[in-house]
Amino acid sequence: MKETPITRRTVLAGATLIPLTAIRRVEAQQPGAAPAPAMNAEQRKILDAFIDRIIPKDELGPGAVECGVGDYIDRCLADYLAAEKPLFLDGLANLDVFALRTQGIAFASLTADKQDAVLTAIDNNQAPNLRGFFNRVRRLTLEGMFGDPVYGGNKNFAGWDLIRYPGAKLAVGPEDQSMKTPPKPFRKGLYGAGENHGH
Amino acid sequence: MATNLKPVDVVVVGLGAAAGVAVLPLTRAGIKVTALEAGSWMQPGDFKADEIHNNVRRRVTTGTKVWDEIPTFRVSPDQRARQGAAPTMMNAVGGTSIHYYANSWRFHPWDFKVRSETVRRYGASAIPKGSTVEDWPLTYDDLEPFYDTIEYEIGVSGKAGNVQGKIDPKGNVFEGARRREYPMPPLRDTDFTDMMQAAARKAGFHPHRSPAAINSQPRNGRSACAYHGYCDTGGCHVKAKNSTAVTTIPAAQKTGNLTIVERAHVTRILTDDNGKTTGALYVRDGQEFFQPAKVVLLASYTYENVRMMLLSKSKAFPNGFANNHGQVGKHYIGHWANREVTGLFPADLNIWYGANAQGVVVNNWAEDNFDHAGLGFIGGASLTVNHEVHPIAASAMPTFGRAPQWGSKWKKFVSQNAGRWLGVYAQCNSLPYENTWLDLDPEVKDKLGDPVCRITSGPKVNEPRASAYAAKKAEEWFRAAGAIEVITVPNAEGPNLSTHATGGTRMGLKAESSVVDPYGFAHESPNLGILGGSTLVTHGARNPTLTIQALSWRTAEHLVKNWKSIAG
Repeated sequence: MKETPITRRTVLAGATLIPLTAIRRVEAQQPGAAPAPAMNAEQRKILDAFIDRIIPKDELGPGAVECGVGDYIDRCLADYLAAEKPLFLDGLANLDVFALRTQGIAFASLTADKQDAVLTAIDNNQAPNLRGFFNRVRRLTLEGMFGDPVYGGNKNFAGWDLIRYPGAKLAVGPEDQSMKTPPKPFRKGLYGAGENHGH
Repeated sequence: MATNLKPVDVVVVGLGAAAGVAVLPLTRAGIKVTALEAGSWMQPGDFKADEIHNNVRRRVTTGTKVWDEIPTFRVSPDQRARQGAAPTMMNAVGGTSIHYYANSWRFHPWDFKVRSETVRRYGASAIPKGSTVEDWPLTYDDLEPFYDTIEYEIGVSGKAGNVQGKIDPKGNVFEGARRREYPMPPLRDTDFTDMMQAAARKAGFHPHRSPAAINSQPRNGRSACAYHGYCDTGGCHVKAKNSTAVTTIPAAQKTGNLTIVERAHVTRILTDDNGKTTGALYVRDGQEFFQPAKVVLLASYTYENVRMMLLSKSKAFPNGFANNHGQVGKHYIGHWANREVTGLFPADLNIWYGANAQGVVVNNWAEDNFDHAGLGFIGGASLTVNHEVHPIAASAMPTFGRAPQWGSKWKKFVSQNAGRWLGVYAQCNSLPYENTWLDLDPEVKDKLGDPVCRITSGPKVNEPRASAYAAKKAEEWFRAAGAIEVITVPNAEGPNLSTHATGGTRMGLKAESSVVDPYGFAHESPNLGILGGSTLVTHGARNPTLTIQALSWRTAEHLVKNWKSIAG
């Protein structure tokens, strides 16, 4: 599945994979404030297993789970994406149903290889009811991994380090726009450096 | 029951990119203007270097009016239209000029005469089937003084390619003649812009730097661009982006003749039995008010302008305001503009920072800048590459068949390449068609119970052909720049909800085929002026805001000069 970055020019084209409710504005917390969890422990276990296969921990560094992407998604569902929560939780349940049907075991209890087999089947359109959910989880995983850490993910700026995004600064000189000597990571977001906020 | 307010000279509906400039000549002339704006003021501290805040959640707005009236969309009249996911406009004093890219283009002289120039050069059969395109009722030369005024009033940086006929290859050699150079040089040159300009020249093209309503140097007491990279769908934290909120609106306030009413949600334009407008009805903090005025300037976004006209029914206008000829909503143009061509490069481009308008543009394949004989289409596309890539968008990159879309192999691919890819922004000359229009949705309503705008956009042949032709040229450009992979993914359906929505109350000479006259006043209601993209007749191969602003200034100046006959 090809994805293009969602720019303002392609807002609709880019949003066709996202349920209407997904980016509808709802009154939401300020960044940093952690709401009550949206998922129960079982649901969170399925999600963590899923995002761990989207971006695994490996020789390149921490994966989605270690970077707090599960926290990012949970916080989204708890307020900003509250309208999408029922659909999302259905998706998690359906993923387990599909894993049980095709592999005989709940998704989170499968080996990594078997989890990959389940996700590959979905990616190959063998479970049409999970296609949209797969894309949605992948998209939210990218947001959590590469967004500002204040939202719960990108812990210790590991996501930005992975792709060599240096960090957010308010004034950028000519030297920072050089191709010959790209800026070194300085691990700062708009809201500060270091640890995630709101835990 | 609405509270009747004291009459004013002019009431403006929507104080954004369009009315934000029009209020300046009006108030300077001593005319008392009351601007009704659904949003409120935003300050530099409201703007964040935060992709989730700006681009993912689209939080750069005040109030939720636009979120409550997102248009619906369908591609044929037998479909039920589906509501879009996010608005393409915002609510604030300054409107979308706060969070736009600020690419500030003049349309090409050809855009104003598409029909006659096409017939002259290629014959009548070259006009695309089903298109309702007409020549504009004014030419580029008519608008040139107003382009110049806006460029200097708000501040546009760029390099002229044609000053009074003298061609300068450092600028856009294809542009119409301008009276003088831009007030500021282009935004900062970088290794990336140098590389892409050199590659374009190698391919035989004529590249130049983007014109931008962003200060490239300190101007009028405000700072130069800080290049921090959160300009797109964000606001400027150092007031270097020349939105009307920091330029013409404060200047108009200084005259003492501008009253701004924030959080005013206008619901109807009212009229007397003869079709003259009497003022605007609005809701503010739950209270309804009627603001009488001698002249009303409707100046909101295209979808909102058309919707307001269609909602404002009266004895004089049973089918919507100034719509007795059935033209309101017709000749709508969804700008055909995409990033269809994507390239992968062998080294880091370092385009994280900077502004979107810090770009390089190729115009060789736009308008009628090349011979179209035998090509099967008219017009073409401008091609732009630019700075300002955000980390989430970068990670959502295509993998060029070199890796899957998830898992360790993907992670390795994206770790290497998220900073090494690039899309070309191709903006096509776009025309109005019989199968494409705006009306009111029969089912979806806003919080006040009023129907939202519905877009019907049928298939087209000309624009996708022009886009495909330009895409081939973009591929050449990327190859010349050293791209190791180039892919093209055509957008078959064309524009959906658009930030470049134009037409719908187009200008023209006759009430039978247009809504407003050449100065922007309604044929059927001479004291109602319309400002904004909805008055455009064709859409150039470029961002429309500067043209909208030049037309707005022209409408305001016309009103000042003809005050007695229009307001009387």
